Amino acid sequence: MPREHPLAGVERELKVGPRRRLDLIEEVDADVRALQAELERRGRTPAEARHEALRRLVPDGEVLDQLEARHGSRLQRRMRAAGWLDLAVRLGVGTVATLTGLAAVRITAAGPDGPSTALAWSQVVLIALLAANVAWAAARLWIQADLRSSGRRLLWARQGGLIVVAVALGALGAAWEGYSAFAAPDPATISSLAAWGVIRRVAHVAAITLATAIFGLFGWLAITPRMISDEEVERRIARFFARARPSLELQPQTPSVHTPTGG
Amino acid sequence: MQQVTLSKRINELLVLAVLDRGPAHGYQIALSVDEHTGGAFSFQHGTLYPILHRLEADGRVRGRWQGEGRRRKTYRITRAGRADLAAGGAELERQMHALMALLRGTHAA
Repeated sequence: MPREHPLAGVERELKVGPRRRLDLIEEVDADVRALQAELERRGRTPAEARHEALRRLVPDGEVLDQLEARHGSRLQRRMRAAGWLDLAVRLGVGTVATLTGLAAVRITAAGPDGPSTALAWSQVVLIALLAANVAWAAARLWIQADLRSSGRRLLWARQGGLIVVAVALGALGAAWEGYSAFAAPDPATISSLAAWGVIRRVAHVAAITLATAIFGLFGWLAITPRMISDEEVERRIARFFARARPSLELQPQTPSVHTPTGG
Repeated sequence: MQQVTLSKRINELLVLAVLDRGPAHGYQIALSVDEHTGGAFSFQHGTLYPILHRLEADGRVRGRWQGEGRRRKTYRITRAGRADLAAGGAELERQMHALMALLRGTHAA
């Protein structure tokens, strides 16, 4: 099994934006290499020099906390200091979903009743879920600064899935309205007024569906520029670890525990 | 500049004192502190980086990336850093004198 890079744990645990993570691991990696070379020049074996350089320079858990406090956003620092960062994010996501759902309720309630009313109302739930998904991603990006590749894939999968469900329910609702009206025993007996009522109900279901899909797509698009730039930096981080793999042969055994005198 | 504990202040002054001799990479700062203090002060487990980044954010040192591909960061002290080093050194000396006087008094008693 391939050994893990000594800075992989730092990159994984450090909850700051990808640009800061990349800067830190590149800085520490360059320093570790240079210190190792310097210690070897002074007569240490490569393994001893590597061990010593890692012990001195690779941040441990307490130092990672300090770096997060230093490089997080001001909002993140304040909320983390208050100890309710995760709770605030959850409450924020819940509030956004509830308010969006309530707005959707008002719009949906204004439409005509029909056989597919239940399907039209299910779009309200989907709109609330779409809003919650985007709010969750936005909070991870701008407040917690920790939306990794797996989180982005989850966002896309959820958002895409919800939009597909919304369109499918909308199509089903429109078809149901049309079928219920025109599959009567004698379609020729349907008055023009009744036909107009059916068209209105089909149009209402289609409009709600279209609004749900557009809402989901725009929410997704709104945070896409930031995610694209983060993705590019994440690729650079991945390239860093791929490129650094040959040097892992010198990774030492578990470092001994020393009390840091810095702070 | 935010309020810092005595140990953090000492660490800041150690870094500023090394950089006052010339620009350096992080590992050179860690080595220099160790060597110039005879091992009395030593940065372990990456404790140097939060200090450097705090000094950089406050404008007391300036960090600069060099190189393409494998980048390295070099730090140099700024005018504000030199002023802080002078003021902080004097303040620390006064505090140490007071502390030693107290300790000597305790021993004498």
